[in-house]
Amino acid sequence: MDAISLTVNGQKHSVEVSPDTPLLWVLRDTLGLTGTKFGCGQALCGACTVHVDGEATRSCTARIATVAGRSITTIEGLSPDGRHPVQQAWLSDQVPQCGYCQAGMIMTTAALLAKNSAPTDSDIDEALGGHICRCGTYLRIRQAVHQAAAKHSASGATAPLPATAGAGGAR
Amino acid sequence: MKTLRTATNTSRREFLKSTAAGSAGLLLAFYLPASASTPGAPEQDFKPNAYIAIDSHGDVRLVVTRSEMGQGVRTALAMILAEELGADWSRVKIEQGDCDPQYGDMTTGGSMSIRSTWDPLRKAGASARDMLLTAAAQTWGVTREECSPTGDSVIEHKKTGRKLTYGQLAVKAASVPVPKDVPLKDPKDYRIVGTKRARVDGQHIVIGEAHYGIDTKVPGMLFAVVARPPVFGGKVKKFDATRALAVPGVRKVLEVPAVEMPPLFGEERKPDSGHQHYLWGGVAVVADSTWQAIAGRRALTIDWDNGPGAEESTEKQRATLTELLKTNGKELKKIGDPDAAISSAAKTIEADYETPFLAHMTMEPVNSTASVHDGKCEVWAPTQNPNGMATALASVLNLPQSALTIHITLIGGGFGRRLCIDYGVEAALISRSAAAPVKVIWTRDDDIRHDYYRPISHHRLRAGLDAQGQVTTWLHHIAAPSTDSTFLGGEVPDTGGTEIAGTGLASGTVPNYLLQQSFLHTAVPRGYWRAVDTNWNHFAVQCFIDEIAAATSKDPLALRRELIATKEKPAGGGDNEGETPVNVDRLLGVLNLVAEKSDWGKPLAAGRGRGIAGLYGFGSYVAHVAEVTVAKDGTLHVDRVVVAVDCGQVINPDLVAAQIEGGVVFGLTSALYDEITIQNGQVQQTNFDNYPMLRIADMPKVEVHLVPSHEPPGGIGEPGVPSTAPAVANAIFAATGKRLRRLPFQTQELAKS
Repeated sequence: MDAISLTVNGQKHSVEVSPDTPLLWVLRDTLGLTGTKFGCGQALCGACTVHVDGEATRSCTARIATVAGRSITTIEGLSPDGRHPVQQAWLSDQVPQCGYCQAGMIMTTAALLAKNSAPTDSDIDEALGGHICRCGTYLRIRQAVHQAAAKHSASGATAPLPATAGAGGAR
Repeated sequence: MKTLRTATNTSRREFLKSTAAGSAGLLLAFYLPASASTPGAPEQDFKPNAYIAIDSHGDVRLVVTRSEMGQGVRTALAMILAEELGADWSRVKIEQGDCDPQYGDMTTGGSMSIRSTWDPLRKAGASARDMLLTAAAQTWGVTREECSPTGDSVIEHKKTGRKLTYGQLAVKAASVPVPKDVPLKDPKDYRIVGTKRARVDGQHIVIGEAHYGIDTKVPGMLFAVVARPPVFGGKVKKFDATRALAVPGVRKVLEVPAVEMPPLFGEERKPDSGHQHYLWGGVAVVADSTWQAIAGRRALTIDWDNGPGAEESTEKQRATLTELLKTNGKELKKIGDPDAAISSAAKTIEADYETPFLAHMTMEPVNSTASVHDGKCEVWAPTQNPNGMATALASVLNLPQSALTIHITLIGGGFGRRLCIDYGVEAALISRSAAAPVKVIWTRDDDIRHDYYRPISHHRLRAGLDAQGQVTTWLHHIAAPSTDSTFLGGEVPDTGGTEIAGTGLASGTVPNYLLQQSFLHTAVPRGYWRAVDTNWNHFAVQCFIDEIAAATSKDPLALRRELIATKEKPAGGGDNEGETPVNVDRLLGVLNLVAEKSDWGKPLAAGRGRGIAGLYGFGSYVAHVAEVTVAKDGTLHVDRVVVAVDCGQVINPDLVAAQIEGGVVFGLTSALYDEITIQNGQVQQTNFDNYPMLRIADMPKVEVHLVPSHEPPGGIGEPGVPSTAPAVANAIFAATGKRLRRLPFQTQELAKS
């Protein structure tokens, strides 16, 4: 096992794991970042979603060797103070029930809004169509995505939301 | 927990104790009954079940003795306490209690949490408030009558404008004798109960700092996965661990015994009862990380003894159930003379319904962490049933309860799966053998293939009508395996309340009635799945009412009104909850409300339809109207579901709405997609690709309407589920004229040729 370098939430790490290890288990078991969740292991549910260079990525099927040297952001690093507009919208609409799937939902939404600051319902369906919430919070998720987008445009900003608020996600 | 002073009045069913807790201030222990009290029920033993404390800074702490799995129980219990206490909501903190005998029954299930804590929590809050008020009066040297709580953790002396905070009063209040029978607040004065409040744990969830069972970290912890018998009831014959042990990071490979486990809820079990409550058994691979354990498991060679379960298949089970409906089953309830009445009926209507085995599929897969060493056992478990787990651990590990510590973690979805205790026992046995703390993770296919399933069921419904089209006879024959028998043995357990839940509404409202059940023997273990037996029984009953309406050219809502309102008060119960009578006015209330809000009776375009179903269950009244569109090729879309809810006093309307929204999704997922099928004794489904879930694009509009009420609270976690499937089935009929009587809906039957 060779050492593999990766950058997670702005911090550089060197991990010694088999190169076929999914990023998910490196985050959870090796780095202790348990905010990213295991749901299916086959990229079917979206619970494990993180950003790899800003792209929403299923960490349960992303082999560590393929993300070496790239910038990874997890829910813990989405914002320095837990006040990313998507997180705030999730709270104000009281989206979560059990909450287990929500880190993945939030990460995908943040990546969506970074590219598309005014998503339509069908944009939302497409972006979040790969996610499952067994508690059934979909109505509130949709409402919160629109709310996060609207708040952003109401604040006068015209640029898309940063996928990661703050300076490189450093904490 | 601090030693508590002797209770002042042990004859009361719930009572309070207080103690001077030094600088900690006022500490109250209060006693909760294990279940909502039934009028006239004999006195039961009550054990302390939760604690509140107020410190000298004014922080109020509530130990929550139920499990949080998304229903918002931590928030709701804190709201109830804060209301009666007159506390500043922002100063109320919760703490999750570990499993502890002094808390009594900590089970979270049956939509019982609010029902079982509503009275004792309010009384505890009111008593504490009264003690704080006495302390303030004593401090000022004035009469109690001149003092009043402001509702913001302050006692005020209005004449002089003086104020003392709960923090300032806490230590003194602890020495005030515990009052008796403090009057509870008038609901019209509520400031917290009945209002929308944010979840107390929401922030942790959105920043990824909420810790579920699967997130447990213990120093020196290893990770394990288990290869369990692919066939139910199977066993390990022999295994070869050589290749697995060669996988980097794999520490140990060990056999997990298929030990016998006790019943889940402390019930008596007869010797040789034929129960199926054994640990799965199998081969555990223990490694330095989850991925290494999974890799090690792939390298195992195991020879299984599949046992007789390998003969089973869904096809055979369905054939057996069909046969079982042809001969009489065990009589569960009989009113009047159903045999004579059906043969003399002017008209009879008959229909068969069918539902499949279903898995829970919680988003957090089943898991548990355990550390067993030096005669002690510590477990971190996402469990709804810590008491049952403690009983099983003590029995299987042969340890006294005092040697056990069970930490109840936040739960990533329960839905009844975590009332079972298999995973905690399994983790403890693996930790003991591995001589290390171990986190056992179930992969998704482990989770779906080793569940305790919602039972498969077939139903035959027959109705006899008189010449005027009035229903005079109602026959319901259920063929299914029993859920309870998994754990207790027997066929139809004598305790059998849960086996007939959801058969109500017609029972007792027609003069001749017969409910019978035939039992399917199967190795497939059955368990408690959100709303349990109510789901399949209610599906059959609510669809059949619709069929009678169609056959008699009546409006389905009008027929329901007739069945409910025009008959005598239901005889012999006839509800879903033992013998608690249905309040027909409240049931009519939600049906009428949902009709009004859903535009019932207004015409829809071709290919569209509305369907209705109404439930009394879990102490609440809930009615659904589903609105669907069926395309020419048979594609079904559920457009809108309107739900009217009378759950008595609402604690937090936003939490109620969330549970109903989620209940609709849970019901729709089962109605539209899912079926666990068995081939050669094995579950064929493996993950979300072949056991799909409703996703965001297919989410209908859901509108929840609450009936204002100050009746005692009913349950809300489950009653949003059962009416969903029959409301959709009835809507499909309204849209197409075709009856889909089998779940999940076989929508190909809707395609127009």
